[in-house]
Amino acid sequence: MYALNYQRAKSLDEAVKLLGAEPEAKLMAGGQTLIPTLKARLAQPSHLIDLARVAELKGIEVKDGVLIIGAMSKHYEVMTSAVVQKAIPGLANMASLIGDLQVRNMGTMGGSIANNDPAADYPAGVLAHNVTIVTNKREIKADDYFQGMFATALEEGEIIIKLLWPLPKKSAYSKFEHPASGYAMAGTCIAQLADGSVRVGVTGAGSSGAFRWTEAEEALAKSFSLKALEGLKVDPETCLGDLHAPPEYRAHLVGVMAKRALEKML
Amino acid sequence: MQPSRREDLRLIQGTGHYTADWNQPGQLYGYVLRSPEAHADIVSLNVEPARAFPGVVKVMTFADVEAAGFKSLVGGVAPNVKGVGDSAMKKPFYPVLADKKVQYVGQAVAYVIAETAAIAQDASEAIEIEYSQLPPTVTVEDSLADGAPQLHADIPGNVGFVYERGDAAAVDEQFKRAKYTSKIHLESQRLIVNPMEPRACLAVYHADEDRYTLYSSSQGIVNMRNQVSTVTGIPQAKLEIIADDVGGSFGIRSTPYPEYMVSLLAAKQLGKPIKWVGTRTDSFLSDYHGRALELNGEIAIDENGRFLAFRWDDRVDLGGYAGGNGAFIGTNNLTITCGGVYDVAALYARTRLIYTNTTPISAYRGAGRPDIAFAIERLVDQACHDHGLDPVETRRKNFVKAAQMPYKTPLGTTYDCGDFAAVMDDALAQADWAGFAGRKAASEKAGKLRGIGFATFLEASGGGNTPSDQTAARFDAKGDVTIYCAAGASGQGHETTFISLFAKELGITEDGIGYRASDSNMAVVGNGTGGSRTLLGQGSSFKLLAQKVIEKATPHAAEALGVTADAVSYAGGSFSAGGKSVGLRELAKKLASAAAAHPFDCGAEGTFGVTFPNGCHVAEVEFDPVTGVAEIASYAAVDDLGNVMQPTLVLGQVHGGVVQGAGQVFGEHAVYDRESGQFLTASFMDYTMPRAATVPLAMKWRGHAVPTKTNLLGAKGVGESGCSGSLPALMNAVMNALRPMGIDNMQMPITAAKVWQALQASEGGAAVRKAA
Repeated sequence: MYALNYQRAKSLDEAVKLLGAEPEAKLMAGGQTLIPTLKARLAQPSHLIDLARVAELKGIEVKDGVLIIGAMSKHYEVMTSAVVQKAIPGLANMASLIGDLQVRNMGTMGGSIANNDPAADYPAGVLAHNVTIVTNKREIKADDYFQGMFATALEEGEIIIKLLWPLPKKSAYSKFEHPASGYAMAGTCIAQLADGSVRVGVTGAGSSGAFRWTEAEEALAKSFSLKALEGLKVDPETCLGDLHAPPEYRAHLVGVMAKRALEKML
Repeated sequence: MQPSRREDLRLIQGTGHYTADWNQPGQLYGYVLRSPEAHADIVSLNVEPARAFPGVVKVMTFADVEAAGFKSLVGGVAPNVKGVGDSAMKKPFYPVLADKKVQYVGQAVAYVIAETAAIAQDASEAIEIEYSQLPPTVTVEDSLADGAPQLHADIPGNVGFVYERGDAAAVDEQFKRAKYTSKIHLESQRLIVNPMEPRACLAVYHADEDRYTLYSSSQGIVNMRNQVSTVTGIPQAKLEIIADDVGGSFGIRSTPYPEYMVSLLAAKQLGKPIKWVGTRTDSFLSDYHGRALELNGEIAIDENGRFLAFRWDDRVDLGGYAGGNGAFIGTNNLTITCGGVYDVAALYARTRLIYTNTTPISAYRGAGRPDIAFAIERLVDQACHDHGLDPVETRRKNFVKAAQMPYKTPLGTTYDCGDFAAVMDDALAQADWAGFAGRKAASEKAGKLRGIGFATFLEASGGGNTPSDQTAARFDAKGDVTIYCAAGASGQGHETTFISLFAKELGITEDGIGYRASDSNMAVVGNGTGGSRTLLGQGSSFKLLAQKVIEKATPHAAEALGVTADAVSYAGGSFSAGGKSVGLRELAKKLASAAAAHPFDCGAEGTFGVTFPNGCHVAEVEFDPVTGVAEIASYAAVDDLGNVMQPTLVLGQVHGGVVQGAGQVFGEHAVYDRESGQFLTASFMDYTMPRAATVPLAMKWRGHAVPTKTNLLGAKGVGESGCSGSLPALMNAVMNALRPMGIDNMQMPITAAKVWQALQASEGGAAVRKAA
């Protein structure tokens, strides 16, 4: 790790101020991706601003049909929260599948979404549930937020405060773990929203990061059944291929995970 | 709750002494700059900018180790081992720091020493190196191809050695008369060994005595000291090596690494201790890798199903240099038991040892023996399938029978004992072999593909390279005793085992008995831990040592009891004669004096032969054809390990070996990019380690002891049998499940993606997909 200046922000205002003060400053949420990156000397921020003590970024509650999750909520909190388990059990389950116990006790929802790893779990959920991302500057709709691998709509100086999860009728996530890393090789989240519309978010497989599988959404909107998914296939051309799996396999897995998620909902 | 091993309390409370736990006042820190290139000339190397870095004390390159007269790192076959046509092995000079050329990604190029580890690493980035890239070759196939890149100017074609063993003509004869033949091509892929403790060292020079201390993990002192001395020229007598706790070794901690040598040199030159602690990345790149063998086997069978001969043509990837034990694995270990448990008329094996632009290979849990056991049992299984022979009865028919022991193989190896049929029957019964059809039908109903496989294997364990295993006992002023040997534990529980063995042999309690391994101040020699031999070698020596203590003590007991020595008898920790008795401990305490050596102090030694642990492992594997995911549905093993001293530790060894085998079968694979020679699996993000859930919780095991007479304990090696049994058993189960789909052979690792792709391409797969 290169030498850097560690700063612990005590409030959102302070975090914003510190972030604006140094051009090479970087925010740290749970650090589960950032710290290994720093240790491998793949990043060299001049200042690291730790958000762990920022009270405004915490808390989980349901208000007016929306599950509000503070950006610094740890995966473990999401997984074990009685509020989440009642409001969106599929999301609690998704959190329980992230990383391992140590990661879940440090990693945060805001950190994951800000990093937008193409194989992270939450992006599939955010897309499927049509989540609104609230920052210190504005509100961003899920569909506008993800902009390719590790790329988001977040601008300089922008900090995620909370995520607004509209309560769905039901939702579920199914994940095929990468055999080495445990990240999603393919993960599919299906949500049937309050207005009856169906959204399908996919992570791990896309060559441009998480995406909505609109073909499956249309089919499920017509008939919310396993039969509706039959014969549907993600185009392998749009999928990642690497040492571990060719694009065809990932494309196939998206469909299998969709069926397995749907089975949980029927 | 008391832990079951003496070591555990210390280790789980964090009070053990791993290498990085040692520190010395005033120590400096080293950082190794490694090659980012697979194959390149070093056009220029300028370390001045790093030297000028604040806090940097020294930067070392090849020039420094050359000036110090360092020799090549040690590797290759022993000088008396000749290849085809009486040829000697072509072994390039393996410099401690790269000289003019780099041969693999991760090769040590420069060593920066600074006041802190962070400064040393920062400064290393200021080193200016210009590399001129050369085309790399990272597979034996590419190294052997026409026009392949040449690694070493004096080794045209990249072939280091062609070795053969057995009688080629006799094998040809058997193949001519054979009714059936089968052949198989198998790869035992390159693995990362990944001990829990990354490599580290602390080197100290004692100027007043012109003496060195090296703290580093090791499997035993003799090899380490010998090789460090050979490379650096430091006399062995001036080199103390300390390794208290070692967090896993598996073969790759048996020989020294470049950092140890340069740290010793710097410690002397700077007059300060030098500490180096490697990262996990250093381990991935520069710990010796394991396996990397290609096995091509053929079997000849007569009209009655009797095996006539095996023929092997194997290719061994040495890596960029001959280091560690790579060449020994590729010659001796691959061939010594290449007929397995079978009574055949003729055997022949040829192996070619090839250089590639990859990290050099050394021993990994079994070091070639699991690989050949795997190959034999895969070939036998394939032959049974090819010719419609029953796999159980065919094996039974061809076993070396218990009545044939001792049995000399066509290669001259003598198996001293074993009852392979009994072991197989025991294992098949435990696994409910007969009930498989029912389980397969149940799996089919659930849409799964189930296969069963087994392996009846044997391996040679216990061969060592030092002439004998010595042990010693030293009594202190309290009459307490410390016992010593040369082998170093890396998790095996030697402390528990040997103290218990010594105490039982003397009929005394374990209190007041201490154990020290690899203590340079004790002049005990002996083999390092390796080849599953420590119990049968050093354990036997400890048994002798206990008898020596009794012999030493007897005259003193006689004096204390007022009788002649021949009147004294020893039992249950006490000497007695004529109704009087005196305890060994009591006597030891009485005779202790601070001024002189204790009269009971003594040493023992013995030479103990190779043993042939064998077993039958049975596995069932179930595939989900929709995703290709495999699950080990059941695992049941029976091993003939001779007499078992510590059942819990033995079970742990079997479990560990099976898990490592399962890791190789289903996930682990060290992969280099064929074009660039870059190492693609340099972290746990890309390198698939087995997890606890890889194997079933209800793994069944039992021992079936046929004690050996080749050592005093009747014990056979256990450390590696788990790998030797699980590789073929699991792969035979995999193929049993996949063959009906029209898949004939598949190379490890059997990943879900690979299985799914194979099913996509196969006719059977198409049928399954339709049904699903």
